[in-house]
Amino acid sequence: MKKLLVYLDGYKKECVFAPLFKMLEALFELFVPLVVASIIDKGIGNGDKNYVVYMCLLMVALGAIGLSCTLVAQYFSAKAACGFSAKLRHSLFKHISSLSYTEIDTLGTSSLINRMTNDTNQVQTGINLTLRLFMRSPVIVFGALIMAIIVDPSFKASGIFVITILALSLVVFGIMLITIPLYKKVQSRLDTTLLSTRENLTGVRVIRAFSLEGKEKDKFHKKTTALNKAQMLVGRISALLNPLTFAIVNISICFLIYKGAIRVQIGELTQGQVIALYNYMSQILIELIKLANLIITITKALACAKRIEDVFEISSSQEVMGDKKSSNNGYSVEFKNVSLKYKGASECSLENIDFSVKAGQTVGIIGGTGSGKTSLVNLIGRFYDAESGEVLVNGQNVNSYEFETLREKIGVVPQKAVLFKGTIRENMKWGDKTASDEDILKAIETAQAKDVLDAKKEGLDFQIEEGGKNLSGGQRQRLTIARALVSKPEILILDDSSSALDYQTDARLRKSLNSLDYKPTVFIVSQRTASISHADKIIVLDDGKIVGIGKHDELLSGCLVYSEIYNSQFKKEGV
Amino acid sequence: MNMSTIKTVLSYLKKYWFLIIVSLLFAAGSVLLSLYIPILIGDGIDLIIDEGLVDFDGLLAILTEIGIIAVVVGILQWLMNLINNRITYNVTKDIRNRAFDKIQKLPLSYIDSHQSGEVVNKIISDVDQFAEGLLMGFTQFFTGIVTIAATLGIMFYLSWKIALVVVLLTPLSLFVASFISKSTYSLFKKQSEVKAKNTSIINEVVGNLKTVKAFSHEDEELERFDEANNELEKVSRKAIFFSSLVNPCTRFVNAIVYAGVALVGALLVIKSGGSGALTIGVLSCFLSYATQYAKPFNEISGVVTELQNALACAKRVFDFTNEKEEVSDKENEKLTVENGEIELSNVSFSYTSEKKLITDLNLKVDSGMHVAIVGPTGCGKTTLINLLMRFYDVNSGKILVDNHDIREVTRQSLRSSYGMVLQDTWLQNGTVRENIALGKPNATIEEIIEAAKASHAHSFIKRLPEGYDTVISDEGSSLSQGQRQLLCIARIMLSLPPMLILDEATSSIDTRTEIKIQKAFSTLMSGRTSFIVAHRLSTIKEADIILVMKDGNIIETGNHDELLLKNGFYAALYNSQFESNEQ
Repeated sequence: MKKLLVYLDGYKKECVFAPLFKMLEALFELFVPLVVASIIDKGIGNGDKNYVVYMCLLMVALGAIGLSCTLVAQYFSAKAACGFSAKLRHSLFKHISSLSYTEIDTLGTSSLINRMTNDTNQVQTGINLTLRLFMRSPVIVFGALIMAIIVDPSFKASGIFVITILALSLVVFGIMLITIPLYKKVQSRLDTTLLSTRENLTGVRVIRAFSLEGKEKDKFHKKTTALNKAQMLVGRISALLNPLTFAIVNISICFLIYKGAIRVQIGELTQGQVIALYNYMSQILIELIKLANLIITITKALACAKRIEDVFEISSSQEVMGDKKSSNNGYSVEFKNVSLKYKGASECSLENIDFSVKAGQTVGIIGGTGSGKTSLVNLIGRFYDAESGEVLVNGQNVNSYEFETLREKIGVVPQKAVLFKGTIRENMKWGDKTASDEDILKAIETAQAKDVLDAKKEGLDFQIEEGGKNLSGGQRQRLTIARALVSKPEILILDDSSSALDYQTDARLRKSLNSLDYKPTVFIVSQRTASISHADKIIVLDDGKIVGIGKHDELLSGCLVYSEIYNSQFKKEGV
Repeated sequence: MNMSTIKTVLSYLKKYWFLIIVSLLFAAGSVLLSLYIPILIGDGIDLIIDEGLVDFDGLLAILTEIGIIAVVVGILQWLMNLINNRITYNVTKDIRNRAFDKIQKLPLSYIDSHQSGEVVNKIISDVDQFAEGLLMGFTQFFTGIVTIAATLGIMFYLSWKIALVVVLLTPLSLFVASFISKSTYSLFKKQSEVKAKNTSIINEVVGNLKTVKAFSHEDEELERFDEANNELEKVSRKAIFFSSLVNPCTRFVNAIVYAGVALVGALLVIKSGGSGALTIGVLSCFLSYATQYAKPFNEISGVVTELQNALACAKRVFDFTNEKEEVSDKENEKLTVENGEIELSNVSFSYTSEKKLITDLNLKVDSGMHVAIVGPTGCGKTTLINLLMRFYDVNSGKILVDNHDIREVTRQSLRSSYGMVLQDTWLQNGTVRENIALGKPNATIEEIIEAAKASHAHSFIKRLPEGYDTVISDEGSSLSQGQRQLLCIARIMLSLPPMLILDEATSSIDTRTEIKIQKAFSTLMSGRTSFIVAHRLSTIKEADIILVMKDGNIIETGNHDELLLKNGFYAALYNSQFESNEQ
């Protein structure tokens, strides 16, 4: 939590005033029983009507002052808490987007999303309630105790207060301590029912294909029964809270009145003062329960804060470093004995990769599932860092490039075709903010996505929904290709980008890429030999190693893996 | 409020009617008894008049009575809580089970057209909110009403003049509470809208962070987020501030009532001049009622919103459980496939009435034939499978399996005669073993390993941390897409159904592994009627019939060589692959 407190920096004034005003309110509230006592003892005792009127007005005044103090306090605390969480979310968002692929892989996106939404909300609530109640509740509890001692300095009647506070705390916090882990259990069982519901929706076809409906029902009913049991258990314990506190407070009141009566009998207390003590006792009960709830909220908020802090503690493992010097040798991309090992992996995903590509050449990368094709192209844009060896772009080590400079040179079409909420035009401008409609249309045409655009009467203004839901997989894929082309990149990387395209479209796409006027260096990752057989250089990967490099014909005769892949797709006798 | 929703709610509560009545009786009992305590305390205080004037015998008797009542109230409250918990949690369970069972009976068209998150939300959080909001809300509402009525009754009985002060000041309390809850309601609604917008940006950007980074688009996205973030800050501040006004404002109203009672009460005591008409004890009793009196009003106004919200949740849940189900097939006989002949005659189908998809499709597949379906994206390949498996029903025409109209046999028997591997691999949360044995739960481990070997999944399963007992899930990405697909194939290898449907079954597997699987498949497929959808021409070249589909219609049929000779759409498709190869 400590580290997150910097986000409260701009709200020092609010953080001081909110609790302060809350405390004032509590103090005013504490005076009320005293006023009532004096109404009874002095006003009624002496039959002084004016005094009674005066005291009642005083009570209303105390209430009004209390109210205005609270308003100030609530405003300050709401301002501080919301300001805090907005700043926190801003920094967290910024921090998360500064992380490199390695950290994104380790943390997982769903957990990152959770940190940004649920966790920050919880922390906000925690701060808001802390500012509001943390001063109030103790002030009322201990204030009531002190007031009781002031009323009865002999401590004989007010001593019961100490015992009551202890007994109540024991009950309230004891029940809390026992139930918190039980509530966690309830939550985890609820999570399993949620998971199973979602599973049954996403897997509905498989479930019905295997006629598993009945079995799934039984499984789900068992899960809800388990959830029910956990809920009942925790319910049984937390159901004790109110009845126990009620009984304790009333029994204490009995003792209080009895002890008070003894004091009155010997003239040490008045009737009004006994009523005052009784009122203080009631105030303590209400505040203790509030305090217990506050502590639950704060514990939750602290756990969330810890999780957020954990994210802040992880920083990007990549720095810009090393010599910026470039040996301009006409090579667009060079790999010098490069190995890549992912974090936490025991074996290298790429080993001793060594090749170079001249500017404007087309490189095909082929290999089986998990052979390291994507890993290889990810190194060009320095999305991961090589374990050993050097990756050079235009003769300069990628580690020495500013990330933006490096990535501006590269147009990537990732395996997963992702578009963002916004118009087609906005999406296309990702690569180049200054691109004109003409540039965009040209890129779209090259990417064979003209028909996608033509089908939408809004044209470039067509609104793409979150995640590109309102487009088909093939449409999305072609638009992501267009997006990469808009920036006219020096290096174009197509990572298995034609998997959702049929052969005809794929072939047309290759043709139009060949005729681009700015002649980018093109990397095509594919599992189809057809997609890469025209390349100037084909790299064949197997289990992270290069097992063949050369042109199609050379590989066909010289590389066993390549010829196997080729033959699996083109049976000689077939054509 | 919607009457039919309330009726459904009552139908769920019906079997707990006895518990509900007991709970209400306990609630009323504990409220009345706890309201009696201030009277007793007042009486007690009247016995402590002044120095030397304390009636200890009387006081002790009263205090003992208070003690006993306090314990009894405690027990009643506890029992009431237990009963309420039981009702709430059981109703939650009942509704959840019913809703989940519903999923299994809904037509695929419903599930396909609704986001899974939406349905999950109904079954998980809406049910929770409904049960807690409704039942807890109802108890609070009931005790609130009893408290108010009883307090008023007692106050009028003790002193109608002071009681009148309280009654006159009551509207103030109601007005404040309703004013605040109204204005906070709209603010909270606004807040949740802005929050949803914020969350969707977070989901989009963080979920696709790699793409954002590849385009160095971090700053632009931060800007977009900041805009929504700042808006959220403003709205939240207002919403939180206004909602936090409820307590202090009612406290203030309370203070006014309290002062009013003290004023009128004290003056009346002075006026009665100790004649006993109104004692200090009664005044103290009034004061403690005054503090308690405003609370139920406050609660009731909160409860009303909560009840409305609960009913809204209930409506969403019940709308779901009342969705139209698939036509029952209980009466139908079971299909036993002997030959595996499939015939489609004059089949027409479309998902929406505006857009025609399949029109007048005719096809006859003989026993043991292998049918390959090819064509561009969106040509209706997946739709055909939806119809064969009867995930959707045809609009007109009919589909026959071994001369049985598939609408006249049970869905279960039809579907279990097909082995299906879909493009979207789906794994269940559970062990690898359970996932393979999905179609044959009583399979031995030897059979499972055999199936895994046949689908070439054994070697990677062996390397998983706990082999066949490794727990996997649909969302966990610990397995690659190709590995997931191998597991789905292993399922079919194990259950060995008489007919096969393979939709893009090997799209994520590299071609060399694919060849091995193809071999396994051809063993599997021999003698089995099979439908194969694939982009890869090599996969389907050996099929007996190739259906070339375009825009929902079959435009060409024949085997590979025949179709090439035809020099039509298929030939063009095939040559595009060939041509590029020769460049």
